[in-house]
Amino acid sequence: MTTLSLKKITSAWIITILALFVLAIAFGITMRFNQGANINLDPAKFYSLLTTHGVTMIGIWAVAGMVAVNYLLARYVPVSTSLNVFAFILTVVGVVMLWVTTFIGHFHAAWTFLYPLPFYVAWEKWATPVFLLGLGVLGIGWFVWAVGMMLQILKKYSLRHTFAWQHLTTKHDVAVETPPFILITTVSLIGIIVCLLAAVVLLVLFFAEYFSSGSFVNDPLLMKNLTYFFGHTLANESLYLGLATLYELMPEVSGRPKFKTTWYVALGWNCTMVFVLTAFFHHLYMDFVQPVGFQMIGQLASYFASLPAAAVTAFSVMVLVFKNPIKWSLTNILFFLGVVGWLIGGVGALIDSTVSNNIFLHNTLWVPAHFHTYNAMGNVLFSLAFFNWAANEFVGNQNETKSYSLKIVLLLIGGFGFVLMFYFAGAYSVPRRYSVYPQEFTSAALLASAGAWFACIYLVVILWMFFDIVKKCFKVFSPSY
Amino acid sequence: MLQGVLTFILITICVASSFSKPGDYSLTEESRLYTKISDVELATAQGRFRLSEVYGQSPVMIAFIFTRCSGICSPFLLRLNENIKALSSKINFRVLVVSFDSADSLADMVALAQRYGLTANSQWLFATTRQINELNTSVGFHPVWDSTKRQYDHEALLVGVNENGYIVKKLTGIREPRDLLVMIKEINNDFVLSYPLPRKNMLFSCFTYNPATGEKKASLGLVVLLLPALITLLLLFWFSLKKQEANRAS
Ligand code: HEM
Repeated sequence: MTTLSLKKITSAWIITILALFVLAIAFGITMRFNQGANINLDPAKFYSLLTTHGVTMIGIWAVAGMVAVNYLLARYVPVSTSLNVFAFILTVVGVVMLWVTTFIGHFHAAWTFLYPLPFYVAWEKWATPVFLLGLGVLGIGWFVWAVGMMLQILKKYSLRHTFAWQHLTTKHDVAVETPPFILITTVSLIGIIVCLLAAVVLLVLFFAEYFSSGSFVNDPLLMKNLTYFFGHTLANESLYLGLATLYELMPEVSGRPKFKTTWYVALGWNCTMVFVLTAFFHHLYMDFVQPVGFQMIGQLASYFASLPAAAVTAFSVMVLVFKNPIKWSLTNILFFLGVVGWLIGGVGALIDSTVSNNIFLHNTLWVPAHFHTYNAMGNVLFSLAFFNWAANEFVGNQNETKSYSLKIVLLLIGGFGFVLMFYFAGAYSVPRRYSVYPQEFTSAALLASAGAWFACIYLVVILWMFFDIVKKCFKVFSPSY
Repeated sequence: MLQGVLTFILITICVASSFSKPGDYSLTEESRLYTKISDVELATAQGRFRLSEVYGQSPVMIAFIFTRCSGICSPFLLRLNENIKALSSKINFRVLVVSFDSADSLADMVALAQRYGLTANSQWLFATTRQINELNTSVGFHPVWDSTKRQYDHEALLVGVNENGYIVKKLTGIREPRDLLVMIKEINNDFVLSYPLPRKNMLFSCFTYNPATGEKKASLGLVVLLLPALITLLLLFWFSLKKQEANRAS
């Protein structure tokens, strides 16, 4: 059941996430203008911005997915508001710690803080432990919250029903149907729990070396595996949380019957759960000490992780909208475009994860190109759709009368224009994570400038939505609500 | 009195520091890396041409010596010659031996090539240049003239330059063939593998490696990598078991 306290904490999350999003986009645009030689940042400042941008974006969109599923989960099982508030407080504390390290401590080892970089102190000495601690604070908050949600689901559904295994047999146990929302939420929460545990192990190993004064050192290979086990998986699971929201809300706002869990939906998501946990090996293609078998697992799992979920979702969404009378609104348009962005970005990712292509695309701007596509034009749109729906829910009006076509046109031009400039540069072998480009990359700066201007258009739409949504969210805090 | 002593100490420090040599004599192999080498004019037995014409054809290793050297130059060149022969690498590169002593003439360099039996070897080139100071500065090489010994105080320096004229590796001292091979790869823009080996204080390495046999074995680190998934599975099963028990009891 949706209580007032759940609405209040969800509103607080939405306002905070959107505010952080606007700032993080501004940092992104600043970086892109610097790469375009329109402004001239000190390199250390650029990398501090890169670190803040990366860690903030990954963090807010992971947690946005959790906020959405937590809100909708209340339709099926009781959810704990105290855990939600606990996670919110730790998130705010964690973000403040991280921003203090990057802006005051000048920490700039990127959001991946790949071992041993944080130990090569090129910033304030305290910034390394505080950055790691900040990540720990975020991790603990989200871990406890995710476990709490998982346990609530398991209280109502048996393990077999949670994973919808009854839908895989020919003899249907129709007495209990697992809603797709529960299946996808379970799959994603399990992934989140695993990757947050990987983060805990990683941080413990970092601190063990930090405090051992040389008597204990880490294996760079293990640390890199753990880093991507955590980072890659978290980024992927955030998307799946967004998809859980889509399965729950899109038919509802479109005026269509709810999605059902069929055998292929159950199979697709079960496969995704397993494969997504091993796809991160593709980040280690260049690590020659990793045995070839692991590299093969990385390539195969990358295909198998994305295909079932993507194929099933694309099919389900096509069935929903094709030749059916749909009640279009900003919410379901955002869901629909999010699926398009996710699929385009997914194809970009598959191209890159294929070893023969990776030799050319590794660490070029193709990498930010594909992940910005399925984030900025995929996952973000899923969460914005939820935010828009929730804000309307808070004011009790899902029948928006305002025209949204200009918003959508600008969003498409700004968003896809921005990522297209990354794709062009990636195909042209421009390396990623460069503060300024060497002269040899003749068109890199031009593409960066163009990308920055497109991103400005994207930012305008986000600000527009921000004011619309936040205005409604604030209403739940009014005493007369 | 105290004032006098302090003034004396202050004056001594100022005078001493103004007489001391600049402390730029460094043996680091990292200085000037990834910067372009100065495109000086070279005089060789084959004629006069610019350095860019040499590296433009194939990557080049530049050895800095002078012919009157009574120290490191001879063993340095000798070992360089032996190591390159031993490697018998098929990779494309040339070796340019440049004198950094303006007193050396082209005839001195030709005589040096003869002494090492390298006159007819097209891979080797012996040269002098009138722009030696410019070349030295561009690679971060600072020989110091010792007027008492009438010798240069200098290190044995080998500089690797790729086909675009960038300094991509520097080696100081007489080095093993293995190091040379790394330089040959670097100047040819080949990928150079490097990874710290598992050590005693590295408790959780993913693999153990025996350098003698080249054998790799799975190790404790892989268990650490599996730990997050295992803990989650245990958590799930533990909770669903507890639930089953509670259901049975009720
Ligand atoms: C229009 C909005 C955005 C702009 C202008 C922007 C801009 C940028 C730029 C310029 C970079 C550095 C690229 C490089 O040279 O490697 C970057 C990296 C990154 N961005 Fe964005 N970005 C935006 C949205 C997002 C979103 C929505 C996410 C969501 C997850 C995101 C996550 C990241 C991450 C993880 C990195 C990598 C940081 C690293 O390499 O350490 N960005 N972004």
